[in-house]
Amino acid sequence: MLNIMMVTLKGIFRDRVFQGIMALAVLFLFIPSAASLSMRQVTELSVTLSLSLISFILLLLSVFLGGTSLWRDIERRYSYSVLSLPLRRSSYVLGRFLGLALFMLLTSTVLGLASCAAIAVSSTLYPAERPVVWGFLLLALVYATLKYVLLVAVALLLSTVSTSFFLPIFGTICTYLASGISQQVYEYVHSPAAAQAVSPMLKQAVTVAYYLIPNLAGFDLKLNAIYGVAPNPGGLALTAAYFLTYTAILLGASILVFNRREMK
Amino acid sequence: MYALEIRGLGKTFRGKKLRTVEALKGIDLCVEQGEVLGFLGPNGAGKSTTIKCLMGLIRPTVGSATILGRDIASAEARTSVGYLPENPAFYDYLSAEEYLLFVGRAFGMQGDLLSRRCEEVLKQLELWEPRRRLIRTYSKGMVQRVGLAQVLLHDPEVYILDEPMSGLDPIGRALVKEIVLDLKRRGKCVFFSTHITDDVEKVCDRVAVINHGELKVVDRVENILMRGTEGYAVSIAAADGSVEERVVAEAQLQGVISDAVAAGRSILKVEPRRKSMEAFFLDIVGH
Amino acid sequence: MSRHVATILLLAGLIGYGAVIVPFAGYMRAKPVEEKLGYVPSVKVLKSLSVDQKEVAGAALVFKVLMYYGTLMGDLPKGAIVNGPGDLPGMSRLLHAAVQLDPYNMDAYYFAQGILTWDAHQYQVANNLLDYGMKYRTWDWFLPFFAGFNSAYFLKDYKKAAHYYDLAGDLSGEPLYKSLASRYMQESGETDLAIAYLGGMVKTAKNEAVKKSYQLRLSAFQEVRRIEQARDRFRADKGSLPISVEQLVQSGYLKSVPVDPYGGSFYLGPDGKVATTSKFALGVTKK
Repeated sequence: MLNIMMVTLKGIFRDRVFQGIMALAVLFLFIPSAASLSMRQVTELSVTLSLSLISFILLLLSVFLGGTSLWRDIERRYSYSVLSLPLRRSSYVLGRFLGLALFMLLTSTVLGLASCAAIAVSSTLYPAERPVVWGFLLLALVYATLKYVLLVAVALLLSTVSTSFFLPIFGTICTYLASGISQQVYEYVHSPAAAQAVSPMLKQAVTVAYYLIPNLAGFDLKLNAIYGVAPNPGGLALTAAYFLTYTAILLGASILVFNRREMK
Repeated sequence: MYALEIRGLGKTFRGKKLRTVEALKGIDLCVEQGEVLGFLGPNGAGKSTTIKCLMGLIRPTVGSATILGRDIASAEARTSVGYLPENPAFYDYLSAEEYLLFVGRAFGMQGDLLSRRCEEVLKQLELWEPRRRLIRTYSKGMVQRVGLAQVLLHDPEVYILDEPMSGLDPIGRALVKEIVLDLKRRGKCVFFSTHITDDVEKVCDRVAVINHGELKVVDRVENILMRGTEGYAVSIAAADGSVEERVVAEAQLQGVISDAVAAGRSILKVEPRRKSMEAFFLDIVGH
Repeated sequence: MSRHVATILLLAGLIGYGAVIVPFAGYMRAKPVEEKLGYVPSVKVLKSLSVDQKEVAGAALVFKVLMYYGTLMGDLPKGAIVNGPGDLPGMSRLLHAAVQLDPYNMDAYYFAQGILTWDAHQYQVANNLLDYGMKYRTWDWFLPFFAGFNSAYFLKDYKKAAHYYDLAGDLSGEPLYKSLASRYMQESGETDLAIAYLGGMVKTAKNEAVKKSYQLRLSAFQEVRRIEQARDRFRADKGSLPISVEQLVQSGYLKSVPVDPYGGSFYLGPDGKVATTSKFALGVTKK
């Protein structure tokens, strides 16, 4: 498993997709000057832009690397030479996942340092009324990483089912989009205002979807980091537990499906 | 204990529109330790399907198989096997050396042993110079050699090679044959599939012929060759220097030779005339 | 063949581009600014589309308004008359959308306070927005400070104003705001209140367009105060109100003719109140 993990990491670092996406990190250089456009919240804006850029890069990485990782092994027939080694399929899938997760962690560490530099520059140029709470920034980064690691697990599950890259990539993107609005739709459907307009069937379907689709909104601590608002510790613990259980389910299902998969 | 024991192995694929394809129809085959077995069959006969079942890449519909007594359903069965896939592809973002280290670790090799074995096989397969280059930059022949290197690396008891010579130039083929013969000398079991009869004739102890998912014949190579003897070509030189060539049946051979000797003519050569392995193979697969 | 096609396409494209780009860029530049504010989808759609990038989406909306406002202000040569308040409802809509995406975005409140009050005269809308912001930015004394000014100066709701100024004083720890409240809480102190407020805004403004607009307004109110002071001296001396601003100039109470930077001309109301034909707004003048 460790072996597969290291190979996964090496593979990503030598991958052109990764190199292309990481070119976006150059944008960190422009954050201080872009943030100075703000009228009253330069530091806040630099935090916003940094966290958003990290979020965006992690999203691209999780979708494209998570979605193509298994698919590429099968498509390029690496799977014959790898799965015939005395490895269990479960260690292969877990190794892949852990490799990707570790990679996400490394990326967000590096990008996090870059954003700290950008924010530090902004806040020295235009000192903020409310100083940046670095602890909250760290929390926001950690939870953003967890969010995209969970998305990697979604991509992995989809690619154990699919024979092409289409489902993993677009399925993951759709999951991501749906995860952002599921809370809103759920609340709307169950609001008294919607009581007449929504049929009971639809209401139930939405409820089922709400519990099925990963709820990623809870992982978003940007507001807390940007405006220095203390997050709710109980909520953080629940979110972390949610991450663990949901990821465990996704990985379990992935292994189950991949065990049955035939390398024709 | 057999090196390979296949009992009633069958595989049915689900095709499109609910049609099923019976790729393997109950294969029974045992291979002894120290034996080289050629698995001969035309394209699409079920050679690769059999091998993929053995390697756990696909699961058999019926039947069972063991490698050195270990059931193929478990990953442990593969610990004592070196497997070369057909037209192999390896993580091309690694170098040959990195890939071998990866494979070695998967087989539980570590430290000095692993680095020593890596060096040995890389040198044996003439990959020592380009070992640090990414596999991405290798030629097809080099990739095949990486495949052989990863097969030999952990010095297993059983070798399962799927079309090891396909797509190789004559030098590459010679190299593969040499390796197989060397393994045979060292008492290893080699099970390799091919559709080229010549390969079988030169290196195998036994041959198994498969067609349409069924085993047709399993026999020793010399038995097959012997069975196919049709007579002898005899060249006899007359006193005036003219050479006469005759084909004689086995029963008459003795008489022809003694007659010629009695007549004072010299016998230049006697060659057995037999059906080749190829003719034998074509007979079986019904062409 | 295909090389010819490529060459022809490339050449034709380049020539065409050269011919089109200048008029096209000219057209884009000449497009009325109102159009450039563009269409923004409803907040619900925006909220869904921006997934976890709501803060950036909010900031982007504010910048859209700011850029638009910047072009509006930047187009004037120095000292010229501004000829139109711009698309006020459009700007207000975007700013409201921005704070729904990110209820903490201070830029949005700050900017909305500027345009909703002086330009759009939507005092209650402005205060509702500020109330909304106070629920989130619980530490920020700027919001109650703005709301207090709006209540006192525009809405003449002194009770409410006192409440807001109290809040601003508590949050900032500056007793100044509380005294400010009591000092100006009457009709006669109105101009001084506005000048104090505007002076503070000019000092803290970072954005050039915003600073310019506050400066413009500050200079208008400084002129008003000059007239008021002259008027009061006139009344103290003569025991009656002057009839007109011209009378004040002619009788030497005003050293120079007051200039309304908004392009209007000052006059005295029947109760002696100083007013201007521009109503301190852009583009209302030139009757």
